[in-house]
Amino acid sequence: MAKILVVDDEAAILRALRAGLEARGHQALLATSGEEAIGKVALDAPDVVVLDLGLPDMDGLDVLRRIREWSDVPVVVLTAEGSDDRKVQALDEGADDYVTKPFSMAELLARLRVALRHRASGGGPPLDASVLEVGDVRLDLGRHEATVGGRPVDLTPKEFAFLAFLARWPGRVLTHRAILQEVWGPEYGTETQYLRVYASQLRKKLADDPEQPRLVTEPGVGYRLVDPAERPRP
Amino acid sequence: MVDLRAAGRAPWLGAGLGTALVVALSGALVPVRDNVTPASPALLLVLTVVVAGVVGGAASAVVTAVVAATAFNLVFVVPYWTLKVNAGEDWVALGVFLAVALVIGVLVAEQAERRRAAEAREADLRVLYEQMQAIAAERARLLEEAGRVSVLERVDEQRAALLRSVSHDLRTPLSAIRAVAEDLRDGPAYDDATRAELLATVCEEAERLDRIVANLLSMSRIEAGAFQPSRQAVDLAELVADRSRRLRALFRQARLQVDLPADLPLVDGDYSQLDQVVTNLLENAARYAPPGSTVRVTARPVGEGAVDGGVELRVADEGIGVPEWERARVFEPFRRGEGSASSGVGLAICKAVVDAHGGRISVHRTPGGGATFVVQLPAGG
Repeated sequence: MAKILVVDDEAAILRALRAGLEARGHQALLATSGEEAIGKVALDAPDVVVLDLGLPDMDGLDVLRRIREWSDVPVVVLTAEGSDDRKVQALDEGADDYVTKPFSMAELLARLRVALRHRASGGGPPLDASVLEVGDVRLDLGRHEATVGGRPVDLTPKEFAFLAFLARWPGRVLTHRAILQEVWGPEYGTETQYLRVYASQLRKKLADDPEQPRLVTEPGVGYRLVDPAERPRP
Repeated sequence: MVDLRAAGRAPWLGAGLGTALVVALSGALVPVRDNVTPASPALLLVLTVVVAGVVGGAASAVVTAVVAATAFNLVFVVPYWTLKVNAGEDWVALGVFLAVALVIGVLVAEQAERRRAAEAREADLRVLYEQMQAIAAERARLLEEAGRVSVLERVDEQRAALLRSVSHDLRTPLSAIRAVAEDLRDGPAYDDATRAELLATVCEEAERLDRIVANLLSMSRIEAGAFQPSRQAVDLAELVADRSRRLRALFRQARLQVDLPADLPLVDGDYSQLDQVVTNLLENAARYAPPGSTVRVTARPVGEGAVDGGVELRVADEGIGVPEWERARVFEPFRRGEGSASSGVGLAICKAVVDAHGGRISVHRTPGGGATFVVQLPAGG
């Protein structure tokens, strides 16, 4: 049971989300404007925020920036815009994830679960964690060894670093820029073609099922590593 | 400049012509020279200097004057056919002739030169004027071209705005429908009341989609110029009552108060188009009406005047209102209100319909705050 703040100016969306969240035992708080949302984050201390980017009084990205000035509450952004730039911008501004309208309740709940889990774990595994596990993918950081379902997989150092970065944040989308800067270095940021090549090699080595990949491409945004067993039904 | 042009003229031709005229004239006057005073040939010879000056310029005039003076001496001063001069008065006459011929010749030459220069300047000016006219025409053409390009750019912008707003508008109700429908299918068991509320939400959002599609269709018809009302007598009171009932779901938070007099004259209009006007105005009011406020729909007959005896319909909300500078522009397509989630075509359609009916639509401030939309429609025949 979590306290979830839903920020949207559409009455129908608010009704649907309130009913869906309450039926699953969560407490739903509602806000219809940016100012109201910022006030409720401060006063009611929600566990996670669902934030629509198109609000009547201010840009959703500004709401996110204002919240991030003093709070690290997980924020899942709702966006109806087709442009990927807004999603990437929101993630760069500190959003934890996004869901594109029209979305399914299961999809939103899956994102909320990931965001809540990260909050519970204090934002990823401890930095000195020596082993990362996402589903049947296991990475031994000390020995630079990777196994999938117990089967050893031979990875190059860059492939290992790519996979390890995603595995630190299971289920969460990481932007192209974030991955490039983490794996290749701070002077990188736009070389998404590297990522396509490495992601394709990794999928082959992990023997990913194209229908149910562990390494999921978020077009125009980035990648996430998921446990296929936890995937919401489409 | 004048000197250069004079050099360019034909001084030899002038001198030659002057000399020839002198010879011809002198020859012609030989038979009668004893019957006339010397003043007559002198005056005629001055004419040759004038001709030479005009044709060949000052130098020709000087040459011709000297030739004419010599000829005058040879032919008309006794003794004939010599350069000798006996009488003192003949010296005076010869001197005066030469001086007068020179002065007149040079003056005439200068005058002619000035005229030629003025003509040349005029020709230059004419060329310059024609060039300026050509430049002005070119500039006008470029401006026109730029205008066309900016119109095309505006059309492109409008098209992009349309696509943006269409995708946004369609996705918002679709999101609610999809989230609710999937959750009802796959999600937890809801109690009956919640279930009913969710199903009502699906229906309302589907109706909203229907209205958006209707608006988009109308907009495309308006843009294609194929938007003609098929007129009949319309009872506006009945239309508004019917539409208000259908849109009741929009007025959950704000209250809708409809107050139309029973004796409202019939309106000469297209029922479904006017229905769309009322729908868009009510939807617009519901969007901006704060919770707990009232949206008032009123109507009254209007006398002779503005719309020649008809009906005035008012839809007043108590929302944020429309600032003065925005009032003319709210009826432009794709113009959204502050932070609005609407497509921005609803009010544009209202205006197109009302205009096509020969009516008027405008927006004013509701006393106490908010927007009041006023529609005036002509009465039915």
